[in-house]
Amino acid sequence: MKWLALLLPLLFLAVFVFAAARRVKVYDSFAGGAAGVLPLLRSLFPYIAAVLVLASLFEASGLSARLCAAVSPLFGALGIPAEIAPLVLVKPFSGSGSLSLLSRLCSQYGADSYIARCACAVYASGETVFYLSAVYFASAEGKRPFLPVAVALASNLAAAALGCLFCRLL
Amino acid sequence: MNALFLVLFVCCALALAFAEPAAFLPALLAGAKDAVTLCLSLAAVYAVWLGFLKVAEDAGVLRGMAKCMKPLTARLFRTRNERALGHIAVNLSANFLGMGGAATPAGISAMRLLGQGERAEYARAMLFVVNCAGLQLFPVTAVALRAELGSAAPFDIVLPAVLASLCSLLLGMALVRVAFAVRAKVRG
Repeated sequence: MKWLALLLPLLFLAVFVFAAARRVKVYDSFAGGAAGVLPLLRSLFPYIAAVLVLASLFEASGLSARLCAAVSPLFGALGIPAEIAPLVLVKPFSGSGSLSLLSRLCSQYGADSYIARCACAVYASGETVFYLSAVYFASAEGKRPFLPVAVALASNLAAAALGCLFCRLL
Repeated sequence: MNALFLVLFVCCALALAFAEPAAFLPALLAGAKDAVTLCLSLAAVYAVWLGFLKVAEDAGVLRGMAKCMKPLTARLFRTRNERALGHIAVNLSANFLGMGGAATPAGISAMRLLGQGERAEYARAMLFVVNCAGLQLFPVTAVALRAELGSAAPFDIVLPAVLASLCSLLLGMALVRVAFAVRAKVRG
């Protein structure tokens, strides 16, 4: 893991020194880039808020628990254990939520159990689809993100099923 | 998305109204609070990475990366937009190396630079789906978590996870291609 931590400082050093060598004013340039943060967040915040408000309501209403119960036979048919179903359902909405679910699953069943390995494969092979769609399509006025979101959800579900399958085989 | 949002919201609100009406507003506020804290931490992450990306762009690093990856990216995203290809190159490599903090701002810039129009819609859909496959050379978070919990072989999920995301990436790219081909045919 140590060489991995070294990657970032080396990357920053390389780019900054290279930029200085090409007579870029690094300080001004960095500040210019960081100036874009607040306008960016101002356009993202409404969509992030809408998605997270819905996610919180979904959880509180008990529909998410009922949906888990409803889809676990379907997931079972795909080879996804019932214990993992909540993780598969939370993952598209929230990165932090799915991470806390993952650590709970891993400590509950033991880090080397089949359930924990499946959960890790599901976590690592999926993405926060709804959150990313809110962020990526926030600036695209009048564009319908329905098709890309549907495709992304379908391929994430396939990744979850395949991840569990590979955990059994490998 | 508007229809999905409305349907989900109405279903949840009805369920909660019958079960526990007093929990309705706190649930909404908890979600909004999550959004505020998330945006604050994003502001910090994006300030670092957007600053870094601007330095890289001014130094011509992005143009170099775009040129290196052009044979692949220009064909995959069907665009010749040089600046967008630069940000796409950063987005893809950062995702692959597991630097989510750098990947998302670069992806957002690319989405904006791709602009409007029918071809842009294809490129955007493709970029979004590729991002959602989350293909990562090395799934750091999951491996670190297992190592922390005393796993005997924390690395043995790397291969299943990477294979699964690779398959979902290929599936997603194929589905986008098919969907846009069908749409073009329907429109004549």
